[in-house]
Amino acid sequence: MEPFTAIAIFLAALVVLLGSGVWIGLALLGVAWIGMELFTGRPTGDAMMTVIWRQASSWSLTALPMFIWMGEILYRTRLSEDMFKGLAPWLARLPGGLIHTNIAGCTVFAAVSGSSAATLTTVGRMTIPELRRRNYPERMVIGTLAGAATLGLMIPPSLTLIVYGVTINESITRLFIAGIVPGLVLAALFMGYVVMVAKLAPGFAPTPEPVLPLAEKLRRSRFLAPILSLVAVVIGSMYLGIATATEAAAIGVTGALALAGLQGTLGWRSFSASLMGATRTSAMIALILAGAAFLSLAMGFTGLPRALAEAIAVWDLSRFELLMVLLVFYIVLGCFLDGISVVVLTIAVVEPMIRAAGIDIVWFGIFIVVVVEMAQITPPIGFNLFVLQGMTGHDIGYVARAALPMFAIMFAMVLILIAFPELATWLPDRMREAR
Amino acid sequence: MRGLRRGLDALYAAAAALAALCLCGILGVTLAQVAARWAGVPFPGATQYAGYLMAAASFLAFAHALNREAHIRVGLLITALGRHARWAELWCLAVASTAAIYLAWHALRTVYWSRRLGDVSQGQDMTPLWLAQAPVALGAVILAVAFVDNLATRLLTGDDNIAAGDAAGGE
Repeated sequence: MEPFTAIAIFLAALVVLLGSGVWIGLALLGVAWIGMELFTGRPTGDAMMTVIWRQASSWSLTALPMFIWMGEILYRTRLSEDMFKGLAPWLARLPGGLIHTNIAGCTVFAAVSGSSAATLTTVGRMTIPELRRRNYPERMVIGTLAGAATLGLMIPPSLTLIVYGVTINESITRLFIAGIVPGLVLAALFMGYVVMVAKLAPGFAPTPEPVLPLAEKLRRSRFLAPILSLVAVVIGSMYLGIATATEAAAIGVTGALALAGLQGTLGWRSFSASLMGATRTSAMIALILAGAAFLSLAMGFTGLPRALAEAIAVWDLSRFELLMVLLVFYIVLGCFLDGISVVVLTIAVVEPMIRAAGIDIVWFGIFIVVVVEMAQITPPIGFNLFVLQGMTGHDIGYVARAALPMFAIMFAMVLILIAFPELATWLPDRMREAR
Repeated sequence: MRGLRRGLDALYAAAAALAALCLCGILGVTLAQVAARWAGVPFPGATQYAGYLMAAASFLAFAHALNREAHIRVGLLITALGRHARWAELWCLAVASTAAIYLAWHALRTVYWSRRLGDVSQGQDMTPLWLAQAPVALGAVILAVAFVDNLATRLLTGDDNIAAGDAAGGE
């Protein structure tokens, strides 16, 4: 068969199987099988089991269920109330008032959770009713929440970064530390936008908050102490090289259990619910990773990644042009697939291009997270939009329009990241890494 | 029939419970590793054990995750077809069943050959590989059973056993 025909069949199979709604992990497995049969004479089944076993039993993957579990435990505590109570007194006097609790709350919760959906539900569950009661404009409440929740995947821990790290064999702790500064910069951009709207928009007139004396503010922020110390221990131990990602996560799970126990919110039911939730979510990701590991192997045999890398070299794109092409590509792909599937599906093809263009692979991890998250707040498939639709009762179009300014801010963030790559590379170059 | 239904559901639940125990096992092994390092005591093979538990936890939970709608898929076509989604659903179940049976068959073969050849882990743990791989094969078989179960149920009753889980999961 002509190589061109074979590649066409391979790609068509990918589109048909994924598009018709076959579960993503198994669709990737099927496509990989077709690719192996078309391009190699090797025994397909044995090759499949070798890569799947290596992938499924890799030690760096164990960080995934641990961080998911930690988030599941904290999701079931009184954390969202406590965070609102602790943050509100400090933010009430800023222009934009308590809208900032959306952003600050997401930033704090993002530092203990690796998922943007969990960040969104935990923070929104408290802030949406509280902000509505105080007459904040609905669009701002929903828009900022949709945008800020994406910090869940930027600020460590981050499920997408774990998956990225496992797929390209890069240190997960380095990727995590790389996400800190860009995450904080993005949070600052969101807050800047809120201040601007509060100053300029005529309809922005929420119920003012009572002025609190400093002592009262401090007394109320005692609610923040447990969560902030958990963040410090988990991220600090990774940065100082005391613990690997998995170890930090295991310490985090223990801390979260202790925190829930002290609060009295840890019964057998919430414990087993958190454990089963973590089991399911990590199995879901593991199935995609298993299919993707096999697909990466098959992809190598098709010659597609090398051909594309060479084509890019021939076009002589500048680094910026290449990144803009990838940006559009990822946003389009993200309209149909979730972030983790997008990463595992494309990385076998994109990695050679990135390396050939001399782009730092850790930096690219942060880039891909921002871009994939932009796709998560655009229709038709935007996971954050679905969650918000369920929480607020607005239709998806309204939620998407409310989130549109955040999309623009994230695009600005991509440009900032390209202009100042040190944002993502400075901190990881200065950390000590546990082995 | 009802006995079969109950038996299968119990099988998926039991495998999921085992998977959850494996997660607790990862937590235990990792904490022990941290403690051992602080105490200056060697704990050889800790990373390998955590890896085996990870593989076991994933595969044993696959079937349970399927029936709780945790595995993700592109829903655009199914949603667009509305009332006529039946054929698309059957197609998806048929493809997934085939893929899952293929996976299960080769997972079983891998365990068989690891056992026959007496393969041992190359890490410090020296675990016989078939022992570490057996839960993976078991989970793959249960996943294949779950897909065929769903396909058969849909053919017979027009609906499957996949029911929505909680919204907090996912990404």
